[in-house]
Amino acid sequence: MGKYIVKRVLLAILTIFVISLITFFAMNAIPGGPFNSEKATSEATKAALEARYNLDKPVIVQYGLYMKNLLQGDLGVSLKTGRNISDIIGESFPISAKLGLAAACLAIVLGLVLGSIAALMRNRVPDRLIVFFTTLVTAMPSFVLATLLLYVFCMKLGWVPVWSAGNNNIILPVISLACYPMAYITRLTKTSMLDALSQDYIRTARAKGVPQIKVIFKHGLRNALIPVITYVGPMIASILTGSMVVESIFTIGGLGSKFVTGITNRDYTLIMATTIFLAVIMVIANLITDIVYKLVDPRIKLE
Amino acid sequence: MKKVLALVLALAMVLSLAACGGSSSSSTTTSDSDSSAAADGTTTSDSATNTDTTTLNINLASEPAYLDPALNSSVDGACLAVNSFEGLLTYDADGNLIEGCAESYEVSDDGLTYTFTMREGLLWSNGEGLDASDFEYSWRRAADVETAADYSYLFEVLADCQYDEDGNFIGLGDSSVVASEDGTTLTVTLSAPCPYFLDLCAFPVFFPVYEETVEANNPDGTTPGGWALDAGDSFVCNGAYVLQSWNHDSDMTYVKNEYYRDADSVSIETLNFMLSSDDTAIYAAYQSGDLDFIDTIPTDELGVLMAAEDPELYIIDELGTYYVTLNYNSDLWDELGLSETDAATFRQALCLLIDREYIVDNITQTGQELATTFIPAATSDSNGGLFEDGVEYYSVDNYEANVEEAKALLESIGFEFDESGMLTTDVSFTYLTNPSGSNVTIAEAMQADFASVGINMTIDQQEWNVFLETRKAGDYGVARGAWVMDYNDPINMLEMWTTNSGNNDCQFGRDDSAELDWSVYDDLITQIRNTADTAERVTLMREAEDMLMSTWCVLPIYYYNDSYMMKSNVSGVLATVTGNKYFMYATKTAE
Repeated sequence: MGKYIVKRVLLAILTIFVISLITFFAMNAIPGGPFNSEKATSEATKAALEARYNLDKPVIVQYGLYMKNLLQGDLGVSLKTGRNISDIIGESFPISAKLGLAAACLAIVLGLVLGSIAALMRNRVPDRLIVFFTTLVTAMPSFVLATLLLYVFCMKLGWVPVWSAGNNNIILPVISLACYPMAYITRLTKTSMLDALSQDYIRTARAKGVPQIKVIFKHGLRNALIPVITYVGPMIASILTGSMVVESIFTIGGLGSKFVTGITNRDYTLIMATTIFLAVIMVIANLITDIVYKLVDPRIKLE
Repeated sequence: MKKVLALVLALAMVLSLAACGGSSSSSTTTSDSDSSAAADGTTTSDSATNTDTTTLNINLASEPAYLDPALNSSVDGACLAVNSFEGLLTYDADGNLIEGCAESYEVSDDGLTYTFTMREGLLWSNGEGLDASDFEYSWRRAADVETAADYSYLFEVLADCQYDEDGNFIGLGDSSVVASEDGTTLTVTLSAPCPYFLDLCAFPVFFPVYEETVEANNPDGTTPGGWALDAGDSFVCNGAYVLQSWNHDSDMTYVKNEYYRDADSVSIETLNFMLSSDDTAIYAAYQSGDLDFIDTIPTDELGVLMAAEDPELYIIDELGTYYVTLNYNSDLWDELGLSETDAATFRQALCLLIDREYIVDNITQTGQELATTFIPAATSDSNGGLFEDGVEYYSVDNYEANVEEAKALLESIGFEFDESGMLTTDVSFTYLTNPSGSNVTIAEAMQADFASVGINMTIDQQEWNVFLETRKAGDYGVARGAWVMDYNDPINMLEMWTTNSGNNDCQFGRDDSAELDWSVYDDLITQIRNTADTAERVTLMREAEDMLMSTWCVLPIYYYNDSYMMKSNVSGVLATVTGNKYFMYATKTAE
């Protein structure tokens, strides 16, 4: 296991390096620049800005300088606002992570429960209702769901404010973020539970008089978890790093919007930092997923 | 089951659309106010109101790029700047230019030297003293190329400017601006008389900044705006409000600056800003009473609000023009077989074919004035009048007559029409635009106008940043254009077309083989800049606009206006024609 983890970490470093390389050259290849605006910046000003941020040097030199600073823990400053990128991520990631973690927990717990109920009560009313609900939620884009929640709970019922200075409510954004993964986990759980419950070892367990609850949780659900874990790993990585749509509708200063504004503004340092950060989170999530596989199903060998 | 599911999905969509739209308010009258007028709500709307009379909750836009007044170049950033900083001059509650940090000023007979006498007892928000030397430092810093301020070029009206070997402005010399040793007076020398110089003294890039924290937060010269990136001790200002907290991309709170020279007359103690550009969320927050003032209104709501004459909707003039820009040197004209003169006639025909009334009535929907000149109609001539008073480069009264005139113009340059009024030859071109806002819808309206006589216009949408680069490089034939003025003088929209200007999107003077001698225009702009006689200056600016419009490379569509909503229990917010909002004059009642 330890050897496997070391191997995976080394591979992860290589992966992140390749991602950084591709991202850096790709973003420099696309047209546009960080100092473009409707009213043109003067040539002298533009030259001063390019010199300040090393953009006057060849791209390969820029990449070398960026990686050198990165290895020293310096992510640079935003070309658009002058703020330290580490401050931007340091402030916005905890906000997104808090929402994402709450949403992920909600999605996993509800998804497993509803999926199990649907499998155990197949073709009965609860199953039908759950299928209906998950289909509805899966088909509904997050901006529709978020807007709907805003309309009902903020405007019609008045339970929470649409916006309040320094006091963001997290309930509605968490529900908005959780609904789609919850529906997906429900469907995955139901399918794999049905598959697991039809296996010989379940019949054997029941024949041997193992209590139903133990059959379901120890033999059924545990074996049904593998496909769910496969989905949950990357889902958590994605949900932790925020959603631009949900953050925009609920005015939350999370990390999600930074991915998009970085690109639209050609804020090169922000693009690089957010990409590398997401890659690191994704690699860690995948590694944890693999380890959890092993814990859930000892038959799996990590090599 | 499927039918039920379909029904519920349809219901969800309808509800979501309703949420997107929000609910509209009943009302009686629309409040139109003149430019630079303080807006006063008179009747109540049925949207919820917040009764905290000491706090205003506001949305202007999303996260500002800079709070440093020297580095800011956005309208929303300027709004924040005018509420937290004050220049030598400022605007009063009625929009009149008045003394700010300066108690008085004198202008020399030749109009070149301004001597400002500072008010006594001016203080920064940290209680430290502020005097003329702070202005000298701030102006030199803002003009310095190392600060890299977008608006540094505005300092070029001063004398003794410094230029690099390529002729680029890089800063101010010793004699441009000088503070007296005791800090009581500031002497500014101009290179030529500048009728709008006093307006510039109230423009954010001319505001003072606190040297100690500015320099402390810029140790290696690479973070000039480092002092104003967050709330805290380093953010020091001299205006009515000081930044108390800033949750990035979420909200900002400003509180009354107790050291502000006129703090006693400021009624609102706290300004909370919602940092969002999501117009659905903004409008929902306004309707639910969480916001008192919004500067962004969903386009589909505007029509409803206008029709209902909602008393909380305010529409004022804004100095800006939405137009079509055409590349004078484009290969398009050769491809159409047109000489330079004929190409101008073709462009004039295009100008007449645009149904501006349809665009304003059905797309932009806030009653914008149809443009018949490039300079906005409300622009001052800096000589006591309006620059465009009585001027029209074409009429917009009768669209059908314009279409007939356009056809006649096209026939005059060799095009022929069949019995159904369509061109017999293929005439096609591409219109370049970015997809945001109403740009594409406006393009589609023009596409239909041109198609009515057989001209095929293809719409090419480019992402904002790419669009800017393509247009600036002149890699286009026809494109979207827009300009909002920084100060109220026509020169702001005339000097952008000089040969070497970075905003010369029409590419005038950049093809040596062209018959058009654009150096004449460049010379006109130089003369305007150097003319002391304001009446003569108006005449020269008229000549410049005439020359610009004679090319028909700029096809004005409408003049911008500024729409915002304000609760009926709030009054006194000053909104200016340059888009700034001054909240220090506001009052709020509990009803």
